[in-house]
Amino acid sequence: MLLDIDNAYIQYGPSVMAVQGASLQVAEGELVSLIGQNGAGKSTLLKAVMGVVPLHSGAITFDGSPTDARSFSTVRQRISYVPEDRGIFTKLTVGENLRLGGVTRRDKKALAADIERELERFPVLRKYWGKTAGLLSGGEQQQLAIARALLLRPRLLLLDEPTLGLAPIIVDLIFDVVVRLREEGMTILLVEQNAVRALEVSDRTYVVQAPGRVLGCGSAAELGKLPAVVDYLGFSPSDVRGNSHVR
Amino acid sequence: MSVDFLVAMVGLGALYALLTIGVALLFGILGLMNFAYGEIIMAAAFAMYLFQHSPWPVAVAMALVFAVVVALLSERLAFFRLRDADPVTLMIASFAVSLAVQSVARMTVLPRAQGVSPKSFLTRHLDLLGASVSVRELLTLALCGGALAAVALLLGRTGLGIQLRAAAENFQMAKCLGVRANLVIPCAFVVVGVLAAISSIVLVWRQGSVSADMGLQPMLIGVVGAVVGGMSNLRGAALGGFLLGAATTLLETVLPANLIAFRDSFLFTTVILVLIVRPQGLLSGAKVRVS
Repeated sequence: MLLDIDNAYIQYGPSVMAVQGASLQVAEGELVSLIGQNGAGKSTLLKAVMGVVPLHSGAITFDGSPTDARSFSTVRQRISYVPEDRGIFTKLTVGENLRLGGVTRRDKKALAADIERELERFPVLRKYWGKTAGLLSGGEQQQLAIARALLLRPRLLLLDEPTLGLAPIIVDLIFDVVVRLREEGMTILLVEQNAVRALEVSDRTYVVQAPGRVLGCGSAAELGKLPAVVDYLGFSPSDVRGNSHVR
Repeated sequence: MSVDFLVAMVGLGALYALLTIGVALLFGILGLMNFAYGEIIMAAAFAMYLFQHSPWPVAVAMALVFAVVVALLSERLAFFRLRDADPVTLMIASFAVSLAVQSVARMTVLPRAQGVSPKSFLTRHLDLLGASVSVRELLTLALCGGALAAVALLLGRTGLGIQLRAAAENFQMAKCLGVRANLVIPCAFVVVGVLAAISSIVLVWRQGSVSADMGLQPMLIGVVGAVVGGMSNLRGAALGGFLLGAATTLLETVLPANLIAFRDSFLFTTVILVLIVRPQGLLSGAKVRVS
């Protein structure tokens, strides 16, 4: 497994246990989603992978090695993270934000080519290259956040609610990009409120219930056979037209 | 407005802008309201006093060295272990550093104020566009203006500058992208040390003396200017400092002689009014879309 979260417990403050014993795995080349209600602990799990919040107990390994953002292992391991609030530097220009995506890279020519590739993927970023990123719309900022994350040439891309609060046309665009990245072979762990869209595009989906307990895991069809999951989601995942892109 | 007034106003504005950038840079990156900033200024001033009989480039160079060393030592000995501490803890720590450095200076090398003999060229005047302009004011403008331009170049055009600005806005995200805390934080302290040294050189030229508590007033000016301009915005902070300096010069000129003693009352009343209208500062929050 590329990413292995084993029996993770994550605590906020002295008494709030946000995640209790979550275990999940992501294989190389997979698109895996985490779905569940607000406060289920999905985003906390991504933060724990990045080392933004510490583990109380349990283990997170990437390709067999522990992840720890404080020692920059996540950057060295090429794990890219797009947080829920997008993490855009609003006072920097679009171009400066993109340059920061490759801040650790020494191959400057290849980086320039990668920036060019992302500008082709997200043409709006070329249009606003010199513009302050804080002036972009929410959808444009999300495209910038994803483009910046891709400049690390990630082995694992963590996307936290990338379509939250966006217009339907931008939601379609973001999901199209996610599917295309998956087809290019990128490994993606996606946290998504839109359970139907997540089930449609994912190879496997974890259904997470507060506080960070995995209710079930599998394809949409497999999850549809789990009564607890159907009861929790309020619909049967097997009704979702899923995984059409999977080879 | 005469040329000499303009030079004095813009020069003092540039000096105050330097002071505010020094405060705002560390606040942005570490959440640190660095009350020890005044002691970095004092360290540079002490170097000016110590090397006052050496050629002036040596004194200036040593002021830079002293300020940068004190800035880096404060980072390594006090703030390094508190990087993840809350802002109040950091602020108390900076008070402690400030008082400790000031007390050590008072007990050892600066028990009382010491005079620094002014360089002869500073007392001269030049004819500029028909006005007699003090060389000291021109040098204040040139040095502080040059330093501001250099800071603008560093922050705006270099990779390190982009990392510093990103860290000042969202250090957590910057770290996730690979910006190294162990690089940007010491670099920020070096920049702060250099800015403090340049400010200190100008202050010693203007005041002609050095004392253990001489950093208090410039540190307060830096804090007030940064609050006026917007603590989370380096450009705003610089603007706040500049306006504070320009307003100080303006008040000195327009106030009648019997009201000059109340200059700071007028100045800080204006500051309070500005903060009532824009509590977030002049530029903070401007040109950023909430989405």
